[in-house]
Amino acid sequence: MYYLYLIQSPKGRAGFGIAKDPQSRNRDYVAHCGDIVDFPFLYGGTSTHVKKIENTIKQQYVDNIWHIEDRPLEWLNDEITIHQLKAYVDQLINDRHYKVSLVAKDYNFTQSVLDKL
Amino acid sequence: MTFKFQYQEVVRRPNPMVTINPLARGSGKVVDLQDRVDTLNKSSAWKRMMKQWADADKKVDLSRMPKVGMFPLGRMDIDEDIQRVLDDKHCSNKIANIFLFDPALLQTIQCILTSEGKLVSIDGQHTASTIAGLIEAGMVDGVTDWRSFEFPVQYIETDNLAFARRAFSILNGRGKKPQSAYQQLRNAVFIVRIDGDTSDEEDVKLERLVSIAEKNECFPIETFSALKKYPGTFGNIGTFKSCNEDEVELATSWHNKYFHYESMHVSTFFIFRDIHKAFKSAKLPVTEKLQEELAGLVQNLFGDLAQYQNSVASAHRLWTTKRYGYQANWDDDAYACALLQLYKHFGGQEQVAPNIIDRFDGIIDFFDEDILSLA
Repeated sequence: MYYLYLIQSPKGRAGFGIAKDPQSRNRDYVAHCGDIVDFPFLYGGTSTHVKKIENTIKQQYVDNIWHIEDRPLEWLNDEITIHQLKAYVDQLINDRHYKVSLVAKDYNFTQSVLDKL
Repeated sequence: MTFKFQYQEVVRRPNPMVTINPLARGSGKVVDLQDRVDTLNKSSAWKRMMKQWADADKKVDLSRMPKVGMFPLGRMDIDEDIQRVLDDKHCSNKIANIFLFDPALLQTIQCILTSEGKLVSIDGQHTASTIAGLIEAGMVDGVTDWRSFEFPVQYIETDNLAFARRAFSILNGRGKKPQSAYQQLRNAVFIVRIDGDTSDEEDVKLERLVSIAEKNECFPIETFSALKKYPGTFGNIGTFKSCNEDEVELATSWHNKYFHYESMHVSTFFIFRDIHKAFKSAKLPVTEKLQEELAGLVQNLFGDLAQYQNSVASAHRLWTTKRYGYQANWDDDAYACALLQLYKHFGGQEQVAPNIIDRFDGIIDFFDEDILSLA
């Protein structure tokens, strides 16, 4: 199982990423932010399909990727909300038959929801 | 064992490339130089460089600007420590090619002019040699002595050979922005489509390949084009050009039928070029069923060929390390080979050309476990 997480910064910026171990990844975000940061939406599926979705987001949102100077990040510009991003991911999964599904909402590393999957 | 991966239809949406395809027609647009200056003025790279000029108080030294004049070829020397050895085949088969030679396409020779009045070539010896050779061979009516024949030369007055050496290096590589493979393709296509000129077989062949791809809603673009996000676009022009018409038809029609929602991965051309060649020599048809089942396999296991490429490249690295004890370079033949091995592994019943899967023995064992576990 591989995971695609959608993340929201404390100020509301939408972001995304993939991880084999989302608990560890969430812990990293928390360590950087100094506060609990949720993954509002966590998807799980085959590694190839999860990676495919991440690449598609990067390609289709190329004009809305947030940059620090010239460096593109896995965060989106202000105009894109977390719900717009989720709607796009859901549409991709639905339209293209990816073996990926929503496995948790408002997930952070303190929760053990993934143990049950 | 029946083949388990069924292709699932994906809703087709109109492809914007059909209307914005830059190769469909020329823009018909001619701009003045001000347009380009405006582009520079808006460019952050240009602004950064101009700031460096201003900070360093650097100005253009007009006395160093090159001059242009007509000089007799006999005055020209070639410093062999600067210019390359003459490539006689380049002179014979490219510049003087009987089907291609046109004096209007000759370029000025680049030289330095020393204080002793010597012209030293830094670029263009092949042009100069070809013209001199043509005169000597009697191919220029009314001219018998190439030494006195005047040819346009762009020159800089200097005695500094280090400058000449640096200039040669810049003129022949470092300082020139080479034409991309896409620009060359675009020129060939426009020569046929806009100018209606079909005198060059290569141009006609390339335009035909592009037409086949376009019919299947596949579109060549620059490697780093903003159009890359659109379905059917592909940037690896070299591989595309290496295919024949049947191979381009097979690759692009497969992409358009099953992956019309994605940009086209270069492996599509490698895979279907190899399949077409191998099946043809084995006298086997590339059946519709095989094509659909391959699409089903790619869709179910990888999502698309871009992800397949990641997986097969990783498997190839592991396979060569295990087999040879070191990580060998990637081999494009592995695309089709591993795909068809996977097809058979998962119960594909269609006949495949044996020689295409009879390589990279056992490479599919090195694909990720979560892929193989779907068997």
